[in-house]
Amino acid sequence: MKYCDKCKITINTNNKYCPLCQQVLEGQNIKGLVEKYPEYVSVNRKIFPITKKIFLFATVVSIIILLVINLSSLDINPKLWSLIPIGSIFYFWIVISFGVFSRQNIALRLFLLTALLIGLLILIDEYTYNPTEILYEGRWSYDYLMPFLLASCNLAISGLLLIKRVDYRDYIIYLLTIVILSLIPIILVFVNIIEVTWPSILAFGLAIFILLFIIFFFPKSIKDEIKKIFHA
Amino acid sequence: MNRESSYDTWFRLDNSGKIFPEVSNHRETNVFRVAITLTEVVDHDLLQLAVEAILSRYPMFKVKLKKGLFWSYFDYNSKPFYVEELKHYVCGEINPKKNNGYLFRLMHRNTDIIIEMFHSLADGSGVMALLKAIVFEYLVLTGKNIKPDNLVSTKYERPSMEEYEDANSKFYDSKNKKHVPEKRAYRIKGTPLSEDLTGLISGTMSTKKMIDLAREKGLTITEYFAALMMHTLYVTQIQYRGHIKSNQNPVKIFVPVNLRKHFPSNTLRNFSNFVKTNMVMTKDDITFEEIIALVKEQFEKGMTKSELIRKMSENVSFEKNIFLRFTPYFLKKYALKIGYNMLGMKLNTMSLTNIGKIDFPESMQPYVYDVTAGVYSGKFNTLNCSIMSFQDRLKITFTRSIVETKIEREFFRHFTNLGFDIEIESNYVEEY
Repeated sequence: MKYCDKCKITINTNNKYCPLCQQVLEGQNIKGLVEKYPEYVSVNRKIFPITKKIFLFATVVSIIILLVINLSSLDINPKLWSLIPIGSIFYFWIVISFGVFSRQNIALRLFLLTALLIGLLILIDEYTYNPTEILYEGRWSYDYLMPFLLASCNLAISGLLLIKRVDYRDYIIYLLTIVILSLIPIILVFVNIIEVTWPSILAFGLAIFILLFIIFFFPKSIKDEIKKIFHA
Repeated sequence: MNRESSYDTWFRLDNSGKIFPEVSNHRETNVFRVAITLTEVVDHDLLQLAVEAILSRYPMFKVKLKKGLFWSYFDYNSKPFYVEELKHYVCGEINPKKNNGYLFRLMHRNTDIIIEMFHSLADGSGVMALLKAIVFEYLVLTGKNIKPDNLVSTKYERPSMEEYEDANSKFYDSKNKKHVPEKRAYRIKGTPLSEDLTGLISGTMSTKKMIDLAREKGLTITEYFAALMMHTLYVTQIQYRGHIKSNQNPVKIFVPVNLRKHFPSNTLRNFSNFVKTNMVMTKDDITFEEIIALVKEQFEKGMTKSELIRKMSENVSFEKNIFLRFTPYFLKKYALKIGYNMLGMKLNTMSLTNIGKIDFPESMQPYVYDVTAGVYSGKFNTLNCSIMSFQDRLKITFTRSIVETKIEREFFRHFTNLGFDIEIESNYVEEY
């Protein structure tokens, strides 16, 4: 025990000073004393990796260059074509930071990346669509990519659930969402946006199959998940 | 809920718990800790076994926080819980990603077993129940012959539904929910500590002597400490500086009240309310006696049943608001955040928590030496105080996010001047 003459307190420490008044404490150090609280060890702060810095810089510079070229040549090509590479760059960043390095639920990651990819591809299709150059009249993004991407995401998540022994209750709600989203192509078929129908029907069939599988074999867990998520 | 913890287990957040996930960050962590010092050095592996056994008794704590469409909720956590060694952080942010989703930490160092919990999950009583059970189980595992005496729950008991109830909404009275607007409180200023560090200074004194001292003035221990705290703040921070504008705000000390003592409920979740002392201290000659009289009056007023129910209903009615209820979560988050920043945080100068006397079964008492409580301190409440006692050791712990220790010094000197023996502990944050 050490003693502070000024504050009239005792303290069990090998530190030199009184924590209250910063005066030197009286008394001897005790050998083998374990301090009540551990000493401060500076945490190795994550140093912003230099590669990330370089990539980020390159991203910003290329976006600026693209925009400058695009905007200055609007009289030649009136389309905002630079949105395609800029969108792709953003998608790249999302894939790296959210898809690869994030510790989020894998089903959520797959789901969001698929949704964003569909959005990006629709954007590309929109900007490159030229009805005068008739090679193929429809929209490839709606006709083929959207149903196929949705179906593969569906398969991926349900495959994960089957193969990886994970807590399926964390995943099932994303599976359900993607199943429901797979109904979009079939709606688009009915409003005549989609012309080539077989991929959409295929995706729809797969979605219905998975939905029925969940309803038949995991009725309680799906009910529970819905109850949890929608409680108000 | 008579089955053992299962995947069906999920809980709504209780009324007071709903706000914390939205307003917590690395600075305002809303974490509090309780520590029990044993007489022997703690064994890591046995403690791990004890926690695992007890967590199946308390499924309420074996949860992770998940977001729903309208509210977040606690869902069963299937990942394992790991005991850690104590780090230098005091009530640091609990990052679920680094903690397998758990909202509390169990740590040990030398003879101490320390639990730190996110306030959303439980309040002081809940955490004490859990910690006592863990320590009991740990002592059993080390081969001690001890009996629970109905004071601690063991791993053989079943969880009861009663422990999970949101008691706030049970005592809710829709007719008694008037909102009383409040003025912003005085803020203790100081040099902030770097890197979200928290300083901790605690002093131990004799419980008996303290009770005698408080009785002499006709006060409870909490009232005495609150009054003394006001006086210390006044002397160190405000006296002769009343003309400065920021000192003209009232000094308000937030004192949590354990509602289990006032209303019949055995819930482990948040069921506490508060009383506040409130005084504008711009005069140059306020005496301790004056403050004591005022604090006593304000405590009496604040602790009446109708006033407690009013404060409770005020919060619950906010939650029951139909517009807020059906606002999607991602919008509600911001509403709660803005509301709390405008109203909640800045209404208190500091908080003074008295967890009170801790009872252990008689056969367990020889193995326990000491207890410590602590709460986080953040950007606005730069100094907080918590009190806890075991047998004749009454421990007052100050946690601060500023460098200065003047208030603590004056506080403890008040007692040494009265002839008390005070033993200090510090984490020596200023030396870093």
